[in-house]
Amino acid sequence: MSKNKGLSRPPPEESLDAAKLELGEEFQDAECLLISEVKVLLEAQYDGRKDDKEISSVFMKTLEYVQKFSRYTNRDTIKEVRALLKPTNLEPFECAQLGNLCCSEYEEAKSLIPSIGDKISDEDLDSLLKQMDSLKKYQG
Amino acid sequence: MFFHKKLTHTITLHPSFLGPRMREFVTQRLYEDVKDSCSGRYGYIVAVVAILEIKMGKIIPGIGSAEFDVQYSAILFRPFKNEVMDAVVSTVNHMGFFAKAGPLEIFVSQVLIPADMKFNPHSNPPSYQSEEQKIEVGTLVRVKISGARVDATAIFAIGTIKEDYLGVIE
Repeated sequence: MSKNKGLSRPPPEESLDAAKLELGEEFQDAECLLISEVKVLLEAQYDGRKDDKEISSVFMKTLEYVQKFSRYTNRDTIKEVRALLKPTNLEPFECAQLGNLCCSEYEEAKSLIPSIGDKISDEDLDSLLKQMDSLKKYQG
Repeated sequence: MFFHKKLTHTITLHPSFLGPRMREFVTQRLYEDVKDSCSGRYGYIVAVVAILEIKMGKIIPGIGSAEFDVQYSAILFRPFKNEVMDAVVSTVNHMGFFAKAGPLEIFVSQVLIPADMKFNPHSNPPSYQSEEQKIEVGTLVRVKISGARVDATAIFAIGTIKEDYLGVIE
């Protein structure tokens, strides 16, 4: 019985693991969005579509979710957060997680996002978190 | 996690649509097809951000319908194992609680809730209570996804709050 060499199956679900940053070939290099960025995009679409007969339930549930959990209220703050995260050599997934979870200490961040590991020093991470926190506190 | 990705979709248009408003019909059909869709490969397709390119249509011999390859970018939502996310509790019972993160429903079994949180069926509404925290419908919780299963139209996930920094968000 010869093996079908041409067939390549996508990896089974179990092998994908955010802790090891194994996101599968579809998402490994994909752009990750902050919850606040999704909120800006969805609200813009919603304003245009409000009068349409049916808006999909997935859209509405996601819109309510991002409105509840969005950390940053305006586009300028989001741009500044992105500017803070860009010079670090963290992966897009890790940057987005940091922006979404808004940890107060570096231990919390490293515990919730284990893939960060030693990519960034504790002091640098701490200072990054403090800067993100002050952006959030003093946003307009 | 929310992703922004370029995707392609093939739309087949019946010959009656091949007229001056053809592109409009292709766009409309794309929105309809993609609305409320969910797959194992891409997760939930929340919204189409932009239509990047509608390639030239190809007529299918014999039928007369035209096939269009549409390239568009969309917001996707897909949970991953060991990803931490915030959610809102929607149901509480003795087996655990359900929490919703956007379109995704996460079940946190009683086994994966810290031992000091006990189910209190007599409270109104029923809740999990410990000395410092209380989980009831509407509570915001931070959950870590322990696994996800994809159905034809939905993704089901199980989660845990039994680790550091997880649980009720103040």
